[in-house]
Amino acid sequence: MSWLLRRLAVSAFTVWAVVTATFVVFNVLPEDPARVIAGPQARPADVARIREQLGLDRPLHVRYGRFFGGLISLRPPADPATDSAVRIGGVGLDLGVSYLRRRPVTELLGKALPPTLLLGVLALIVQVVVGGVAGCLAAARRNGLLDWGTVALTLIGISAPTFLTGLLLQHFFARTLGWFPLDGYGATWGERLHAAALPAATLGLFGAAYYTRLVRDEMLVLLRQDWVRTAWAKGLPRWRVLVRHALRNALMPLVTVVGLELGGLVGGAIVTEKIFRWPGIGSLSVDAIVERDGPVVFGVVLLLASTVVAANFLVDLAYAVLDPRVRRR
Amino acid sequence: MRSIPRRPEATRLGVAILGVALATVACEADVAAPLGPRREVPPTQGGVLRSAFFTDVRSLDAATAFDTASAVIEGLIYDQLVTYDRHGKLSPQLAESIEVSPDGLRYTFTLRRGVLFHDGAPLGADDVKRSVERTLHPDTPCPVPSYYERIVGWGEYHEGRAPELTGVRVESEHVVSFQLAQPDATFLHVMALPIMAPVCESAGRTWTREFSRRACGAGPYRLVRFEHGDAVEVERHDGYWQSGKPYVDRIVWYLAMQPFTQRFKFERGDLDYIRELGEADSLLYRRSAAWQGLGEWEQPLSTFGVFMNAELRPFDNRHVRRAVAFALDRDQLAQVRPGHVAPTGRMTPDAIAPEAVRDVGQRHDLDRALEEMRLAGLAWDPATRTGGWPEEIEYLAILDSFGQQAGELLQQQLARIGLRVRIQLVGFPTYLARTGRRRTVPMGSVGWNADYPEPSTFFEPILTSRAIQDEESQNASFFSNAELDALLARARVTTDEAERGRLYRRAEEIVRDEAPWAVAYSYRYFELWQPYLHGYRPHPVLQQDVRFAWLDRGARPARAGLFPWRRRSGRTTLALATVLP
Repeated sequence: MSWLLRRLAVSAFTVWAVVTATFVVFNVLPEDPARVIAGPQARPADVARIREQLGLDRPLHVRYGRFFGGLISLRPPADPATDSAVRIGGVGLDLGVSYLRRRPVTELLGKALPPTLLLGVLALIVQVVVGGVAGCLAAARRNGLLDWGTVALTLIGISAPTFLTGLLLQHFFARTLGWFPLDGYGATWGERLHAAALPAATLGLFGAAYYTRLVRDEMLVLLRQDWVRTAWAKGLPRWRVLVRHALRNALMPLVTVVGLELGGLVGGAIVTEKIFRWPGIGSLSVDAIVERDGPVVFGVVLLLASTVVAANFLVDLAYAVLDPRVRRR
Repeated sequence: MRSIPRRPEATRLGVAILGVALATVACEADVAAPLGPRREVPPTQGGVLRSAFFTDVRSLDAATAFDTASAVIEGLIYDQLVTYDRHGKLSPQLAESIEVSPDGLRYTFTLRRGVLFHDGAPLGADDVKRSVERTLHPDTPCPVPSYYERIVGWGEYHEGRAPELTGVRVESEHVVSFQLAQPDATFLHVMALPIMAPVCESAGRTWTREFSRRACGAGPYRLVRFEHGDAVEVERHDGYWQSGKPYVDRIVWYLAMQPFTQRFKFERGDLDYIRELGEADSLLYRRSAAWQGLGEWEQPLSTFGVFMNAELRPFDNRHVRRAVAFALDRDQLAQVRPGHVAPTGRMTPDAIAPEAVRDVGQRHDLDRALEEMRLAGLAWDPATRTGGWPEEIEYLAILDSFGQQAGELLQQQLARIGLRVRIQLVGFPTYLARTGRRRTVPMGSVGWNADYPEPSTFFEPILTSRAIQDEESQNASFFSNAELDALLARARVTTDEAERGRLYRRAEEIVRDEAPWAVAYSYRYFELWQPYLHGYRPHPVLQQDVRFAWLDRGARPARAGLFPWRRRSGRTTLALATVLP
C-alpha cells in the first residue's frame, strides 16, 4: 500500500514538474502570443488590447497562480455560459480557453483524444503483432534468408522517416488503388477504422521494425537457455517451444518499451496526423506550439505527462502479471 | 524438428507490390486529365462544390476573423454594406446607395429593402449599428478595431467609457450614417472588410465564443457545420436578396489539408477547385495542354523584400541601403519559383497601383550598387575581393519560408558588392518578436499583405514614424522620414484621386531613393478548376470568391467519395485485379 502511495505521489510530482517547466519556458520566451493571434498586420494598440484581454500583461507568477489555481474546482460555475471546465461529478477540470480558437481547452482535448487513442491503439497493435511475429520468425530461422530479409526490412523500416512511409502508403493504397481514403476521420466507427488503416500502418511500421529487432535479439538469447533446451529434449512441438517458452519471456522488454512508447504514440503522431488530416492530439499540439496557443500547449503537456506516468505505472503492474517472480516480491 | 514452411509466393507478392508502388511514384511525371468536358451552360442551381485550405479556419465570427482562410468563408456567409465589383472597384452591396458629405466627414448608407438574414429577420439600420458596436466593443477580441478609430466616439466606446458608438446613427429604418472625426480616404475600404458585416440578432450585443459555430449573416450561404481542422459546410440561403442566386446548393471547404492530398483529391473529383498546389504540381498543370483555360494566376496583393534597419550599422548609411536595393537581382530571384514569384521594385502591387506610380521603382544595377558602396566609404573591388563592410550581417528569415530561399540568393548577390550575410532562421513568432524590437535585427526578409486594396496600406502601417515602437514595431526598418509621414497623412484625407496618385508617386520615390526596403517581389498563386465548374475566375481583390459559381452537373463524373469502398467497388476490383496475378 505504501508502495502504491509513493508511486502516486511521485507520479503527481512528475506531472506537476513537467507542466510547470513548460509553463515557465513558454512564458519566458521572447515571443508574444498576442502578436501571433492578432497577426502581423494588426496595429500595436490592437495587439496591446488582445494582450490585456488574455491576461498576458500580468506578471508571470500571477498567470501561473491563475492557471494552477483554477485547474481543479469543486464549486459550481458562476456563469455556465462562459464556464470552460469539464465536470466529472462535482469536480471541475479547467484548462482555460484557447487563445486562437476561443474554445475551452478541455473541449478541444476531449475531441482530439478519441482519434488519437484509436490511432495509438491500432498502431500499437500493428507494431506489437508485426514486431512479435517477425522477430520470432527471424530468430527461429537464424542466419537464414528469412532472418536476413527481416533484418534488412527492419533497417529500412527504422531508417525511413514517417513522412516518407506515410506518403508512399497514401500514394499507393489510397490514391492508386483506392482501397483506403486519402485522409480524414470519418463519421461512423466503420469509416473511422477504415480511415485509420493507413495512418496506423504508417505509425506502426516504424515501431514494428524496432520491435522486430528487439524480439529477435531477445529470442536468440532465450533459445540458448537451459529450459528451452529441456523443452526441445521433451519433444514439445516447435511452436510451443517458441511461443510458450521463449516468446513469452521475450515479451518482458517489449512490455517495458510499449509502456514508454504509449505517451509517444499519443503525442508523437504529429507527422502522421498531418499527412492523413487525422484530428488528434498531434495535430492540435503542433498547431498550438506554432501559434503560441499557451492554454492548449499546457493542456496537451498535462495530458501527455499524465499518460506517460500512467503507462509506466501500468507497465509495473504488467510485470507482475507476466513474471511470477515479480508478483512474489 | 519440424520447420516452419516458407512462403516464397508471399515474398514475391510483397516484392511485386513494392515494385509497382515505386514504379507508380517514379512514373508520376504528368497530371491527370480534366474530369468531363467543358460545355457552355447557363447558370443553373444545384450541386455541391468542394475545395480545401492548407490551414485551419480560426473563427467564423465576423467580429474576430481576419485571417485569409476565414475571410474566404466569411465572404460566403456575410454581405457587407460595400464590397468590390469584378474590376476591383468599390461598389455598394447591402447598401443601395452611399452618400458622402462634401467635407468627407459623413457617410450615409441607404440599405436595400428586402434583405433577409439567415434566420429570416429583415435587415435594418439598427442591425448595422448593433453589429458595428459589437465588433468594436471593448470585450470583443477584434484584431483590428483601430481601423475604425476615425469614427466619432470610437475612443470612448472602445475603452468602455461610453455605452454606445455615437458616430454611428440610425437615421431611419433603412438609413444609417457614420460620422468621422477627420476625413479618411480609406473609410469605404475598411467598411468593405467582413469585420463590419451585419450579423443576426442572435450574435448578441457583445461577443460570445459560441457565435463562431453558428455564424449568421445576410450572405448568400448559411453555415451548416464548422469543425476546426476538419471542414466548413455552408448551404444556399434561399432568402438571399439577389434573386436566383447563389447557384450551388452546398459548398464544403475542407480544412488543414496537405497540398499533395489536395492534388490527389482534385484529380479524382473530390475537390472541384484548388489553389494551394505545390510548386512542381503547379508547373505540371500549367504546362499541360489539357488544362489550358482551366486555370489562372490570381492578382497578388502583397509585396515582399528585404528590410534594412536604418538605426543599425551599416544600414544607417543610406548609400549602403541603396547599394543593396541596386544589387538585388529580382529577375534571378523570380527564377527560383517561376510564375509564383513576380519581380517588382515598387511597394504598391500592380492590382492597386495608381497610374501615376507605375513607372517608379527600384531596379537591379550592379555598377550603381558598387558606386553606392563607394559613396558609403565601403568601396569593394570585385577583382581583388577587398573592401566592403568588414563584419557579417545577420539576415533574419522565417524557417521554410520563401524568405529563406530569397536570403540564400541575396547572400550571393550581396557578396558581389562586399556585404557578407549570415542567415538566421527562426519560427514565425520569434521573427515577429525580434524584428519588432528596436536595435535588434539589421536586416531580414519582410512582406506585407494588403489589408484592403488601397496604396496607403503599403506605407502607413510599415514605413511611417508612427509605426515605430521600441517593442513590436511594425516598421521593421525603423525608417523615419518626415516628408513621407507628411505626404501619407495628406493622402489619407485627400479624396481627389489625381492628387492621391501624385502623393503616392512621391512616396514610392522616397522608398526607391532611401531604400528602407529592397523591394523584391509579389507572391501569387495559380488557381485551377475542373471543367464542370463555371462562373469562377480569380477576383482582383476578393480571394477565392466562389459565391456565384455554378456546376455543370451533367458533365461532372460521379464523385469518388471520401470512403471509396461505398461507391467505388468497380475501381477497387479493377485495381485488385491489376495487382494480383
